[in-house]
Formats: sequence, C-alpha cells, structure tokens
Amino acid sequence: MKHGLKSLALVALIGSSTAFAGGHGKSAAALIEEATAGYKQVSKETTYQWTTTVKVIKAAQKALDGGNEAEAKKLAQQALDLVEATRQQAQVESQNWKMRVPK
Amino acid sequence: MKKIIRNVAFGLVGLSVSAASVAGPEEDRQAFRKFYENRFPQVQPIGDFQNGVYSILPAAREQWESIEEFPPYELAIEEGEKIFNKTFANGKSLKDCFGEDGAVREQYPHWNKERGMVMTMELAINECLEANGEKPLKYKKGAMAAVSAYMAYNSRGQVINVEIPSDDPRALAAYEDGKEHFYTKRGQLNFACADCHMHTSGMNYRSETVSPAFGHPTNWPVYRAKWQEMGTLHRRFAGCHDNIRANPFKAQGEEYRNLEYFISYMSNGLEFNGPAARK
Ligand code: HEC
Repeated sequence: MKHGLKSLALVALIGSSTAFAGGHGKSAAALIEEATAGYKQVSKETTYQWTTTVKVIKAAQKALDGGNEAEAKKLAQQALDLVEATRQQAQVESQNWKMRVPK
Repeated sequence: MKKIIRNVAFGLVGLSVSAASVAGPEEDRQAFRKFYENRFPQVQPIGDFQNGVYSILPAAREQWESIEEFPPYELAIEEGEKIFNKTFANGKSLKDCFGEDGAVREQYPHWNKERGMVMTMELAINECLEANGEKPLKYKKGAMAAVSAYMAYNSRGQVINVEIPSDDPRALAAYEDGKEHFYTKRGQLNFACADCHMHTSGMNYRSETVSPAFGHPTNWPVYRAKWQEMGTLHRRFAGCHDNIRANPFKAQGEEYRNLEYFISYMSNGLEFNGPAARK
C-alpha cells in the first residue's frame, strides 16, 4: 500500500522532470550543490518541502564522501527530481485545492 | 514575511471577490458539516463526532470506552493541576491568567485583533508564563500537554464557537489560509488533509481507519498508545505531515494556528471533550 501510493505520487509529479536528465556531464559535487540550492529556493518561494529531499541529498553527500561518485550522482539526480516535483506540486496546488472543497 | 505579503494581498483582493462568488466561512461550514452528515448518517446525535474515529467505528468503540473508564491521561491531568496551581517566583500563578480552574477552553482559538493573529490556548499559556518571568513550555508534549489536559478537563462540555470577526479582513485571510492548507496536497505522497480526513474518511490507511475532520479539534490533548504519552493537536498535525513526507511546520507557528482556526470553525457547535485516549 505504502509503495503503491509512493509511486503513484511520483508518476503524477515527476512526469516532466526529464528536463534534468541533462545533468550527466556534471560532477556529483556540482549536482549535490544544485539540488541543495534548488531545495532552498523552493523552501523560500513556497511552504512546500518534502522530508525525502533532504534525506536523499544527505545520502548523496555520504556516497560522495565515501568515494562513490556514480552512486552520489544517481542520488543527487534523484534529489533534483524531487525538488522539481515539489515545485510542480506547489504550482498545481495553488489552484487545484479549490476542487476539493465541498459545495 | 512571504506569508504576510500573501495574507495582505488576500485580504485586499479576497474581500471584493468573496462578496460576489466565493463562499464565505458560514457557507463553508454548513457544506462541511453536511458532507459528514451525508457520509456518516449513522452518527447520531451529530455531537458524537467529537469522539473522532470511534464515532464511526462501532467495533472499536467498546474497547475504547473501557479504556476511557480508567483513562491513561489521568496522570497528566494531575500533573497539569500541579503546574496550574504552582506559584511563580513573582508570587502569581497561571490562575492569574486563566481563573481559578482554568476552564477557558471555549475561548480558543480566537482572533486577536490588536496583534493580527490567531491565539490558541497553548500559546496563551506560554505567554502567561513568560509575562511572569517563567520559562515557556515545549508545545508538543510534556508539561504543556499536562497543563492543557487539566484545563481541557475542567472545560468539558463547553462548546466550540469560533468567530471570524467581519471588521478585520486579516481574520478572514487567516481562516482562508487554514482552509487552503486543509485542501492542499503536500508531501511526496501528494495528499491533502481533506483527501484522507474528508474524501476517504472511514477508509483504511495501513491498519488505521481515518477519522472525519468534523470533530478533530474537540478532544485535545490526547494520550496516544503509539506515543506512550500525551501530545497536543499540533503534534498530531506534524505527525500527519511527516507521514505524507511533507516537512512539518513549527508547532504554534502561523501555519498550524491558522489551520487550527479553520478546522475549529468547521467544528463549531461541537463540545470540547478533551483530554482523550487514542490508539
Ligand atoms: C494519508 C492519510 C492522512 C493524511 C493526508 C492526513 N492524515 Fe491525519 N490521520 C491519519 C490517520 C490514519 C490518523 C489516525 C486515525 C484517526 O484518523 O484518528 C490521523 C489522525 C489525525 C488526527 C487525530 C484525530 C483524533 O481524533 O485523534 C488529526 C487531528 C489529524 N489527523 C489531522 C490531520 C491534518 C490537519 C492533516 C493535514 C495536514 C492530516 N491529518 C493529514 C491519516 C491522514
């Protein structure tokens, strides 16, 4: 059940996050920095933050510190996707919440 | 800051619109209540919604009622009574702010016009302590839960009667802010409070049946078996946010106070019956 919900939410939100797939040429450190900056930016602009994002950024940093560049890159990319999904949620929800109000 | 700007903007724009097309708080409240009446016609009388998930779960109710006979929050009430009666260093006590027995539950939450903000009982308790040179309490559990348990207990039977004064557009903006929060999807799991506690209330998430939001603010603080201790309403808000992987907001920060203002207004007419026991 838990996993079902999670993937549903992700499919719904990350549909268009392929924009970030272009991060391949960058180092893990650069991607981590980007994800961290993105997270802070969304936190500044909206009241939407996901607990997952910080956890994944931390995991990426840990992988990098452990010398695992490939794993760090993968996780940093994932964090970037989460940041983008959060941004989309905030945008979509600024209007969509009204649909749920009973009349 | 961001928030203030938004609220101000809402106050200005919102008002002109609301007269024409957008439903006001009173229409909201009636539609909200009707939603739950239609969804759970078996809950009779309607005041029984104060019992949370047990109002709709006859099977679990019997066990819960036997727990309430020897309530696990009794110790908290006793501890709260001591804190309430304790003399401060300056010779005063919480009684000087809240009267002999602290039965003031029905006064909260309310709109404080001078300060332009929603006042809650927990916030008022800490402000009383600080005004008298005492240390404030942590908001989610412990001494705060105990003293609010004592005050809630002495207030049992008082009726929720939250007002949104029409002479201050900021009050309506705070209400609208809480309303938007309630219906907005958040967190990685992409859920709104309303998705669970309204549109799928009575259904199961993992092993738990989701309670109707009508009645949510009546019974605080609670002794929760899962916590093995007492917790306040804002602790529970934070727990639900954490479950959907949204960063919780600060207990007694503006976000949660406005949310409390909204859900309390929605439950107007129900009786306060805290503290209570929960799973
Ligand atoms: C994924 C579904 C889900 C979402 C989303 C959710 N909750 Fe809950 N909530 C639960 C479950 C499950 C419980 C425990 C059973 C119950 O409803 O009493 C609970 C309990 C509560 C309780 C305690 C009720 C009582 O009588 O003890 C409150 C209050 C509450 N939630 C408020 C909220 C608010 C406010 C939000 C939005 C910020 C929210 N919840 C979001 C599932 C959810």
